[in-house]
Amino acid sequence: MSSPETPTRSTKDQQGIDPRAPRFGAGITAALLLLTVFLGLAEGTAPVATVLLAALALLFLWGAAAGIRRHPWGVLYRTLIRPRLKPPAHREDPTPPTFAQGVGFVITALGVVLQLLGVPYAVVVGAALAFVAAFLNAVFGYCLGCQLYLVLVRTGIGGRGRAEA
Amino acid sequence: MSRCVTEPRRGRAAHSVAFAMNPLTALVVIAALVAVATLIGVLGRVRSGRVRHASGKRLTAELLGLDAPLGASATIVQFSTVYCGPCRVAERILTPLASEPRGVRYADVDLGRRPQLAGRLGIVQTPTILLLDAAGRIASRIVGVPRAADVAARIEELTEEDHVVA
Repeated sequence: MSSPETPTRSTKDQQGIDPRAPRFGAGITAALLLLTVFLGLAEGTAPVATVLLAALALLFLWGAAAGIRRHPWGVLYRTLIRPRLKPPAHREDPTPPTFAQGVGFVITALGVVLQLLGVPYAVVVGAALAFVAAFLNAVFGYCLGCQLYLVLVRTGIGGRGRAEA
Repeated sequence: MSRCVTEPRRGRAAHSVAFAMNPLTALVVIAALVAVATLIGVLGRVRSGRVRHASGKRLTAELLGLDAPLGASATIVQFSTVYCGPCRVAERILTPLASEPRGVRYADVDLGRRPQLAGRLGIVQTPTILLLDAAGRIASRIVGVPRAADVAARIEELTEEDHVVA
């Protein structure tokens, strides 16, 4: 009764990721998104903000498509930060943070596209939303992007089982 | 004539000024954004994982899609999704609280497989954990990762109630 899926999940845990890695990456992303919001608001720097958000959107796409482990911030964490820390108390499944990267991509890409179509402040709004999510992840360990999956499930768009994921 | 040439330029300049801030104002806005995000995080942390008394609605193993019966004295039902990182943390905390001799069982329900349950039980966040009494009534509801001691204390209450009734 205590979940028939436990064996597969615990083997997944063993080869999982250091849970501090996605939070470290979210910290860098949050700082860059905050810079994007600033540049988008300040006089004369709006085009720079659009370019920066486009670059961040591509990084999100990288994380979503190649997996959170191959994201540049993940590589940076493994080579620079991890050797200086104690090993993690437990390992985590990389599926949730990888999904969240996809959510980050959709929001930031939408911001860039709408801005290019002439919607004012689209880059600022997109960057601000993504910032809140990345900040909550980095500081509080809360994954807003992952919670969005339940919204998709409830509206009937999502709803895949663990086996197919 | 020269007026006609400069007018559209002036118009465009006025337009861009309306959408741009001086750097100091922009700094204030991003500071406010950090403050709002921090507030959301702090409020979320305060509310997350609290054991709250709940509806008393009666659930059955069939309704939850479980392949085993509910616990004889209490059941911990966790609602998760595949993309929920904290759900694995909650699972690690809750599974040791299950105890066959005491009639306390743990069950994990994947909402990705049973999306209709999320609507029926009003689940908007994962993990959500329901503590059921011996009759399968929802005694407590927890949203977020709980502390083991809090859940253990509530389970203790539920199993005692069960013994009093019995």
